[in-house]
Amino acid sequence: MPHPHRRLKRSGLTMPIVTDRFISNAWHRGCDFINMDLEDSVPPALKGYARSLVRRSIPVVNKGGADAVCRINHDLMEADLDAVIWPGMVHVNYPKAEYGHEIRRMDEIITRLERERGIRPGTIAIGANIETAVGVANAYEIASASPRVRDFGGASGYDMSRDLGVEMFVGFDQFVYGKGEVELAARALNLEPRAAPFTPNITGSVSDPDRAFAEADAARQCGFRIGGGLHPFVVEPQNRGFTPNDAEISDAHWVLDEYRKLAVSNETWVQIDTQSLTPGDGPGPLDSSDNPNLRHRVIDRYEAARAAELLEWARLCADRDREKDEAIARVRAAADADAT
Amino acid sequence: MLIRRSLLIIPASNADALATAWSHDADAVILDIQAGVPPSQLAAARASLPDSIAAAGQGGADVLVRVNAPYWHADSNAAVCPALTGIVLPGAESPQQVADADAHLGNLELQRGIPAGRLELALSLETAAGVWHIRELMAASSRIKQVAIDEAALAAALGIVQNPSLDPFVYARGRLCIEATAIGVQPVAVLDPTRLGGDELSYDDKLRLATDARNLGFKGLVCVHPHWISAVNAAFTPTESLVDYYVQVREVFAQALAAGTAAAPFAGRMIDVPVDERAKDVLALSAACAARDAAKQAALASAGRQTGP
Repeated sequence: MPHPHRRLKRSGLTMPIVTDRFISNAWHRGCDFINMDLEDSVPPALKGYARSLVRRSIPVVNKGGADAVCRINHDLMEADLDAVIWPGMVHVNYPKAEYGHEIRRMDEIITRLERERGIRPGTIAIGANIETAVGVANAYEIASASPRVRDFGGASGYDMSRDLGVEMFVGFDQFVYGKGEVELAARALNLEPRAAPFTPNITGSVSDPDRAFAEADAARQCGFRIGGGLHPFVVEPQNRGFTPNDAEISDAHWVLDEYRKLAVSNETWVQIDTQSLTPGDGPGPLDSSDNPNLRHRVIDRYEAARAAELLEWARLCADRDREKDEAIARVRAAADADAT
Repeated sequence: MLIRRSLLIIPASNADALATAWSHDADAVILDIQAGVPPSQLAAARASLPDSIAAAGQGGADVLVRVNAPYWHADSNAAVCPALTGIVLPGAESPQQVADADAHLGNLELQRGIPAGRLELALSLETAAGVWHIRELMAASSRIKQVAIDEAALAAALGIVQNPSLDPFVYARGRLCIEATAIGVQPVAVLDPTRLGGDELSYDDKLRLATDARNLGFKGLVCVHPHWISAVNAAFTPTESLVDYYVQVREVFAQALAAGTAAAPFAGRMIDVPVDERAKDVLALSAACAARDAAKQAALASAGRQTGP
């Protein structure tokens, strides 16, 4: 499952690039990525000014180890790309993607700009965001239009609600079909699906940390790995929710230990009553006292594959967290040196 | 903007239903000569269609006729007159069927002095093949403004025993709303009557069911009984509180723009361009619903004078 180009995207803040206090302060929030918005949060009169800010903002948002990401305007794609394809940019979000030819055109322009501006070919990913019914209807064509499309999702949110003429927070999953179509296209093409299971939400709050954690945790349990939001309060809960905790890591090691024992005994599976085990010093299964579903555990090749993926993901998360911690430590050390 | 929230369907052979159909405030009346008419009464129902259409439309409702799939040709011949809004074609599975019906309506328009292209063709899908080929079906005629899945017919075709606690049509309904919206056709809900309970449903139950349909993307709902119409009209009309909310959204967003940003917090949510665009849509829809209601009121008043006591 892990992709060689995989950039972790557990958390990320989207902010108007024209609001300097957001851009200047975002680096220490702990985001995996920072999405500088040229689109819906920027008034039409400021589009040109917004473009002029991108190149110099990349190192600002990079300071804490976050990836620099940009959201361009659907209708201003060519001019926006010219302003955002610079060294340090890793991903360009293209909103309201509806046809494969739009993505192929973006790929051509990005390929040329990478060459002209000294960026390793193929570095910059395209986020083809599905936000309309037409986009859902053409999901596979869009997702397969360029190898730069590495993750894929959408089919929910305010634009989608507008296109369908539905309200956003209605207590049931009004987007279930579109999200399913888009996820299926992503999975069929071996792209990282950008999706989340439905959890009822009638407040529409963008700053509730408990909700952010619960959503991220549920998303991870469903095999999704990508977060993102609008408010600094949701960054840490998303990082936590998308990262396996110590008990889950111990459980995964235990599963793999038990699976290896099967190879010795020449069996393909075994069911273990975890409450009959005596806790030892080594890895052990998740506590089933609060969750009866966890008491009788089946160990087989599928469960072993799940555990192996969890450990691989946990390792990527730990590496990424170390990267960000080191980057932030460097900034602080430099600031301390300046102060003395 | 086509406002067709409630579509009252009645058997064209039911004289009592026909006599009062115009008076229930439905946006449209569908005269059914398919499932609702016994074969022995089909000829009579066909012969009286022009009168029935005129009667059903007195209250300002659009009038459509649901034809029989095997006899759509003869049924259309009987139905088409200047007062007819369009034909509901059930059970289409191939684009050729739709194109044939489209061409036939074109011929009838020419023969009967109806402006070319005015007659609508509404699709009522009844089979898995119809749902699967929905995109090609809708693309086969520019007359199509509305498309529906007849859930009772689909259940029968698939061997589904309807159980109100299970919903077998999540996928089909979602596909309908997405594909129709993508091509600019209005999806219309035809909920299975067994799911709807029956006479014991309260106004609030009906309002909730219709509101849920609206929040999946449907633009109207086919009513199998007049007692559904007021709840359905209300569900598909933006409520006063929704209109108030979006008026405030527009104000907040305008102030934000003036202050140099296009994202502003409001009531714990974030208001940006798509929310403001949605606000414009809802306010326009509200105005269009009011205009439709006024037109029906005027027609009703005029019908009342003509048929009054």
